[in-house]
Amino acid sequence: MRKEHRSKNEALVQFIALPMIFLTVTLLGGLRVSAEDRGFVFVVPPLITLVLAVLLVVLFVRGRLIEIERWLTSDQPPLTNLSHALTLLSLFFASSQAFNSVLPESGLLFWLFSFFFLWTLWNNLYSFFDATRLVRSLTVLFGTAFVLKHMIIATLYAPEGSWLKKLAGVLLEGLSLGTLSPQVFAPATGYISFFTLALYVGGLILLPSGPKRDPRLELQRIIAAYRGLPQNDRQLMSQVINDDQKLLSAAEPPSPGDLQDH
Amino acid sequence: MQHRLIQVIGVISTALYVAFIIWIYAAAPRSFKEVATSAEVTVGTYQVDQEKFDAALRLFRQQQYRAARDEWQRADPAQRDARTQFYVAYAFYREGWGRVYNDTELFKQGLAAIDRAIDSAPSGSLTIDDPDLQMHTPAELKTELQQGIEPSLSDFNPLKVFRQRK
Repeated sequence: MRKEHRSKNEALVQFIALPMIFLTVTLLGGLRVSAEDRGFVFVVPPLITLVLAVLLVVLFVRGRLIEIERWLTSDQPPLTNLSHALTLLSLFFASSQAFNSVLPESGLLFWLFSFFFLWTLWNNLYSFFDATRLVRSLTVLFGTAFVLKHMIIATLYAPEGSWLKKLAGVLLEGLSLGTLSPQVFAPATGYISFFTLALYVGGLILLPSGPKRDPRLELQRIIAAYRGLPQNDRQLMSQVINDDQKLLSAAEPPSPGDLQDH
Repeated sequence: MQHRLIQVIGVISTALYVAFIIWIYAAAPRSFKEVATSAEVTVGTYQVDQEKFDAALRLFRQQQYRAARDEWQRADPAQRDARTQFYVAYAFYREGWGRVYNDTELFKQGLAAIDRAIDSAPSGSLTIDDPDLQMHTPAELKTELQQGIEPSLSDFNPLKVFRQRK
């Protein structure tokens, strides 16, 4: 019974919760709140975020956070493959929008942040990563960008800030010859971005490296692989299985009936 | 069987959510109220607030063009009603018209409004039967607005001050 609940819950997470989480990130990643009239502003993901998302997905595959061969395979029914493909697509767009959420909208800062992301992801491609380390590293990466954009830069350029903050903003603008020029949004934008990133990281934690396979399908696959082996290898395989069986029967405790006979 | 049902629900809900995201980014509403209005426009149930439209028309006839435009904006927040947009353009024309020179900025806004009216008009044609107006089709009004902002030799004609506002 417990096993049945587990299987049902896993299916709910995999087929419904995960796509919903990633699509919510896709929806909120480009949402800003205007500082002037508190109206919604929808920022379409810039091209660079798609490039960054591609790099990130490659990193997911390299870090074994996603095992593509387990998500999409010809052994599975088409509906399952379609469902998995949608989940992976929603992950790609969520990644793109997560970058969009922490990238400044224009100016020199936009290019600085983009370069910072590009450089980090490119370096990570050649580093050793496992899934847990990868999620940790991404949390730090997005967290840093969030703090820089929504806390430090937003505070410096806030219209209602103190004179000291305004002075620092003016100095920064002067030093950069007016190339920084970040767009100022209402504080609600920071809260939306925080929620979006938390949801994205939560989704990554919930994401299984590969969906569990049907045991019967797995058995069929093993039998088919066995039958595809050359004669010598098949004999070797049979011998290994027989040896294993003997070891298992030797390790089994004698039944009460056997004891009585002695 | 249950897994299959969960998968079907997952695929359908994902497809609907994707459609919603594409729609919201295309419509780019500024508030939750605009989200509702845009949804009404999409499903075809959008209607102009007739009371506000009539109130605006009264203001228009009293030559209070700015107030009339504000009221029409409230009557047609999605700017999708051809008739309302025609009147908005007319209000811009009347306010911007001058005996010596026209207000180019107001005329440009009038052109934008008349373009919206032409886009929203069913099968592209619209005729307003209002005896108070001298122009009854978007084409007439658009021509008048365009001529008003284009510089020409006739601008130097002193007899121009005797022309009449339509």
